[in-house]
Amino acid sequence: MSNGPIYLDYAATTPPDPRVLHVLQDSLGQTGSFANPSSIHAAGRQSAAMVAIARTQVAELLNTRQERLIWTSGATEANNLAIQGVANAREHRGKHLISMATEHKSVVDTFAALEKRGYKVTWLKPDGSGRLLLDSLSQAIRPETQLVSVMHVNNETGVIQDIHKIGMLCRERDVLFHTDAAQSVGRLAIDLAELPVDLLSLTAHKFYGPQGIGALFVADRPAVQLSPIMFGGGQERRLRPGTLPVHLIVGAGAAARIAADEMHENLSHMTAMRDRLWNGISDLDDLIRNGLPVHCYPGILNVSADGVEGESLMLGMEPVCVASGSACNATSGESSYVLRALGRDDLLAQSAVRFSFGRPTTAAEVDTAIDRYRWSVEHLRGIAPAKTGLLLK
Amino acid sequence: MTLTDPYNDTVRACFEKPGHAGDLQGEYAQSLEASAASSDQGMTVALSVGISDGMIVEMRFRAWACPHLIAAAQMLCADRQGRLTDSLQQFDVNGVMQQLSIPVEKTGRVLLLEDAVTSLWQQYTKLCKTDSGTG
Repeated sequence: MSNGPIYLDYAATTPPDPRVLHVLQDSLGQTGSFANPSSIHAAGRQSAAMVAIARTQVAELLNTRQERLIWTSGATEANNLAIQGVANAREHRGKHLISMATEHKSVVDTFAALEKRGYKVTWLKPDGSGRLLLDSLSQAIRPETQLVSVMHVNNETGVIQDIHKIGMLCRERDVLFHTDAAQSVGRLAIDLAELPVDLLSLTAHKFYGPQGIGALFVADRPAVQLSPIMFGGGQERRLRPGTLPVHLIVGAGAAARIAADEMHENLSHMTAMRDRLWNGISDLDDLIRNGLPVHCYPGILNVSADGVEGESLMLGMEPVCVASGSACNATSGESSYVLRALGRDDLLAQSAVRFSFGRPTTAAEVDTAIDRYRWSVEHLRGIAPAKTGLLLK
Repeated sequence: MTLTDPYNDTVRACFEKPGHAGDLQGEYAQSLEASAASSDQGMTVALSVGISDGMIVEMRFRAWACPHLIAAAQMLCADRQGRLTDSLQQFDVNGVMQQLSIPVEKTGRVLLLEDAVTSLWQQYTKLCKTDSGTG
């Protein structure tokens, strides 16, 4: 076994696929597609053609038309453009917005910024399994509601929301629906010709593309109006100005093509790795699996261990790289707001570990993770005071 | 410890093999326990000492804590075991933080350990007074 780090944090980011790297490198340099694709000269047209091919590749992954995609720097920017863009464009129609307490920070903080501007935001809580109850959404929608934003796959728990039903409800009630699909695009089949989704955010680095490039899907419906949140050269239908990073876009396109070709195989691999890990640790006492497995993306396994402190668990897990349920902030020690929304108390949320698997993950790596997790939990429980005595529960 | 590694070698060693973790193994003429906890920090540390003839014969800790606090407790127990009980009067917060390269934002956690040590000393002095009063 190698002594280097064992990476099980693919929900955070994935390494570019070697085939993506090859394409990306080819597009750089004097002989590559370095020219500004907005330029009308031959070199610019060559770059524009490369961008068009990549846009088509991403569109094919989602079964939509290439002109429905706006390139962004990633999902955070796509989320900002979708949420602020709709809020700004439809401000005259109403200032009520709906989202969930378990959304990614880039969604939560964007809505929070709008709240400071006078918008009302209803934050829906999930049930204990992490899923949105449609009834609660139905009750929250008001005549002045403009947008519902619910993520497809949760980045911490892997819980999959039923975006088809959510979108249908939004269509029935004449409300726009945005989904942050950063964790699902390239990992789960998404058919935008069938799904009633108005806006969808994605980022390439979650499916083995380069960091720094993402996109926002904007449905071809008159109701879907967006105002730009940045201003400049008029690129991307005047919704996202700035010179396009051709090499990153080409990399995103290649990554999308590979993801589409290998999705079924990858899902089988994720499921096998996740089940292997869970089977290797599930006999430990007082473990809680966060997120109901039947509704979870198989590439993520989130587990809380009662009686174990999160930061120490992370150190004990070395050299296995996983994400913890506590903020990476020694000062606050703040536990995951996502897990607390699922009903976990602070200590259980803080003890959570998110294992996330990728194409390169091997059974041997998972076995090392099992060994380290078991050692850490038993080690820390051996040090901890008796539960009934001193633990702050 | 490096710029990117929050734990120095001493912290890692104490965390990996905290020889003083657990409960007192022996029976002693005097044994004391003290604990301190912070709901804000989400940390708990408990100390126990076995005393005989004014000497700390055994000192143990238990902790629900970050690696730095575990290491600080382990180091404290290892240092005080075998010394006079008077040594419980002193706890050099700054020295511990320097030795373990504990970031300043974790000072509150080290102060928890100081609270527990202080409590042990207070219990001990009270016990001595009671013993001398009844003796």
